[in-house]
Amino acid sequence: MAATVPLGLVPTPLYSRLDALSRAKAWTGWAGYISPVVLDTAEFEYFAIRNQATLFDVSPMHKYRITGPDAEAVVNRLVTRDVRRIGDGRVGYAMWCDEAGMLIDDGTIFRFSAQDFRLCCQEPMSGWLRDACWGFDVALEDESDTTAGIALQGPTSFSLLAEAGLGAAAMLKPFDMAVIEPGLLISRTGFTGDLGYELWCDRDRVAALWDRLWAAGAQWGVRAVGAEALNLCRIEAGFIAAGVDFQPVHGALRLHRGRSPLELGFGKLVHFDKGHFNGRRALLRQHETGCAHHLRRIDIAGFKPAQGALIYHRKKKEVGHVTSGVWSPTTKRNIALAEFRAPFGKDITDDLWVEIYVSQEGQWDRRIVPLAIVDAPFFRHARARATPPGPF
Amino acid sequence: MPRDAFDVVLLGGGHNGLSAAITLARKGRSVCVLERGDRTGGMARSTQIALGVEAPEVAHLLYNLGPRVARELGVADLLETPPLPTVSLAPDGRHVVIEGDAARFADGTAHPDARAFTELSARLRRFAGILARLSLKPPPELDGGLTDMATLGELAGLARLGIDLKRLGRRELREFLRIVLGNAADLVLDEMPDGPLAGALCADAVRGNHVGPRSPGTVFNLMYRLGNGGAPRLPRGGMGALGEALERAARAAGADIRTGCEVARIMVADDRVTGVELRGGAVIAARAVLSSAGPLQTMVMAGVGHFDIEPLRRLRNLRCKGTVAKVNLLLRGAPAVTGLPDDMAPARLLVAPSVQAVERAFNPVKYDELPVAPVLEAVLHPPAGDGRCVLSVNVQHIPHTPAGGWDDAARDGLTGRTVAQLAAHMPGLAALVETAQLLTPADIEDRFGAPGGHWHHGEMGIDQILTLRPANGLAGYRLGVRGLYLCGAATHPGGDVTGLPGRNAARQLLGDGII
Repeated sequence: MAATVPLGLVPTPLYSRLDALSRAKAWTGWAGYISPVVLDTAEFEYFAIRNQATLFDVSPMHKYRITGPDAEAVVNRLVTRDVRRIGDGRVGYAMWCDEAGMLIDDGTIFRFSAQDFRLCCQEPMSGWLRDACWGFDVALEDESDTTAGIALQGPTSFSLLAEAGLGAAAMLKPFDMAVIEPGLLISRTGFTGDLGYELWCDRDRVAALWDRLWAAGAQWGVRAVGAEALNLCRIEAGFIAAGVDFQPVHGALRLHRGRSPLELGFGKLVHFDKGHFNGRRALLRQHETGCAHHLRRIDIAGFKPAQGALIYHRKKKEVGHVTSGVWSPTTKRNIALAEFRAPFGKDITDDLWVEIYVSQEGQWDRRIVPLAIVDAPFFRHARARATPPGPF
Repeated sequence: MPRDAFDVVLLGGGHNGLSAAITLARKGRSVCVLERGDRTGGMARSTQIALGVEAPEVAHLLYNLGPRVARELGVADLLETPPLPTVSLAPDGRHVVIEGDAARFADGTAHPDARAFTELSARLRRFAGILARLSLKPPPELDGGLTDMATLGELAGLARLGIDLKRLGRRELREFLRIVLGNAADLVLDEMPDGPLAGALCADAVRGNHVGPRSPGTVFNLMYRLGNGGAPRLPRGGMGALGEALERAARAAGADIRTGCEVARIMVADDRVTGVELRGGAVIAARAVLSSAGPLQTMVMAGVGHFDIEPLRRLRNLRCKGTVAKVNLLLRGAPAVTGLPDDMAPARLLVAPSVQAVERAFNPVKYDELPVAPVLEAVLHPPAGDGRCVLSVNVQHIPHTPAGGWDDAARDGLTGRTVAQLAAHMPGLAALVETAQLLTPADIEDRFGAPGGHWHHGEMGIDQILTLRPANGLAGYRLGVRGLYLCGAATHPGGDVTGLPGRNAARQLLGDGII
């Protein structure tokens, strides 16, 4: 077992590498592990993600392996989407709900075969998955502490891989995965909306993998990044974050804090026609009677980040709030994810206003600025989807 | 061959399955009852202990089958028997006779605690009567909001309950709230010293459940037993006659009753029940399936993948440790009870000499051990023509499977202890025994499919009654899949031979408009 450190957190196998690179010494806890908030400055790291290649330690991610004759049935009953439509060797983004249709967590499903799946997610899920497996012929293994991961993201990330001798990843289309070398699984996935890969291996081999990527990355501008820069990118890509844009319902203490995939705008990932899945009946009811909330991407006038701001209809009636709001340096827009009380945000989308408080050298001012609802992700780039990926 | 199809298929031909069948068939629905065994009636049926001699296989008395429901089910005439007195046998021979709210010594002299008993008993009965109202309807769900007619109806029912409680008066209401969650030992010993009378009350408070008199919630259990006045009754013709009468009523109403039919699988398509498949492969189509099997067993029969993970988890953790064994003794002649006039013999005989003795008898079952001096409830049935008679005995606080298993030694030991315990009051009993039949909780599970061998298919406790029976979110008898319902003792209002779970489930099904 790894030694504990004064922070009260466990170092990941990459902590020594990160600590050596960290100027900011800004750490946070992620699933009990030490994880960097910022290593240098968030701005440098953000621009590295969008213009170069970056490494982020995703080892703390919870990873569960479900294997056995009934594995597909278990996973299909667990998540709202139909995993039979995910091909072998593919990764799918998925959500899973409680019996009331409220989101427990979201994550990625690695489908090795109909008998072999890996679930990657933010929240600890061991007990829940054990319950989900009961009555089925499957084995459940918690791989969280044995499998480590590195997210390699950015436009030069493929060039870096090729430089490191992993050019075989060229054939990976978005959401493909393959064992590129014995013991090294690479998936073309990420949390940035850009070209990128995630590399998975045993925890005792991950430090060597990091060194290999780092050594190959000098001419591709490789940088290590922390959670803050990544957060900017994920909002640009329009991805939601647990505990921020929705409250994982198993952790919510108060009533009615849960949100359904339909309310979060992921109706396309709820496949009512696939047979029973957890929360299906409740979601079907909601599908018929309507959502109570709508999470939407919004574009806000001005340039002041609107994190936490309240939203009004006709500047009078409070109808929602911003859950994630940032100034997007790449798209040069003031973007956010916002939760509306239905019917606002879906049936009523005009005359909506954001109330932002700004301080100008100590003098506070209140600005009421209009917002526009946006369907597409804020940041999209063809390079993220090109296969094989072009050199930068 | 005609297609085998019904509006409703019922799993299990026990008293609850039959009650549901009667209720549905009377409403003109086509009903098929499938019973795994060769006879219907469930735990209310009789068994042949010797050629020509019938004995109640499990249940031997009725408590909670009220007149209204008995009329509805067409079995009211069987209940026109006088209630049995209860005799709590005392080691010193000064047995206590309980008739209704009155208690006296068997020799006719006044019992010093008679007044305390009458007051306590009348109060509990009053409280129980109010709660009993709730048993006639599915428990309130209140999830429809104030614009939903069903919810408004439930609220009206709750409001009536509130008014009834209010009408008790401030003092009595406070008393109700003080005791309702408490334990029977404290309640009883506050009113009288320990002894056979207190022991009898506490034995009734724990009967059928995995609790002792000091366990919380036993006051509620006592009230539940008193819900219809609490007078134990032997139906005319014996317990088996009730099961037979229910079967006759169901057939008369048009139900198709098939024995020797074990359901292998409940068929589901598009989140809707479509019928059942029997062991052997035959298929019976149905628009609704009502199961009086255990809730978890029912889910497994349909395939657990059709259910949400939470209800499955709750049902996996349902508390259902069976704790009552049944001993039926065939006697060569009627035994005499020392200190009891002969005309008192057709009584409910209790061996529960004190609260402490009942609590002490409960201790071993916690460790899967057998009690040395178990609490007994015995009924001496009227002799057959040749003078032989049946003594049927419920032996409380017996583990489902004792450490070491139910080998012959354990079985004989239990029967022997039961006989010895009774022989203390019935000299020469052992020599009268011609045949002894024992059903352990494990046997009851095997024979009747009751989860854990539990009389009530699930412990009756504050955490498993009303809206929480069998588990949170499942109180409406519905199991999630459209058309699939529970109708056994694990559902509201619970165990005992009442027919209520079956009747209520059938009414819920009709109300839901599925068929």
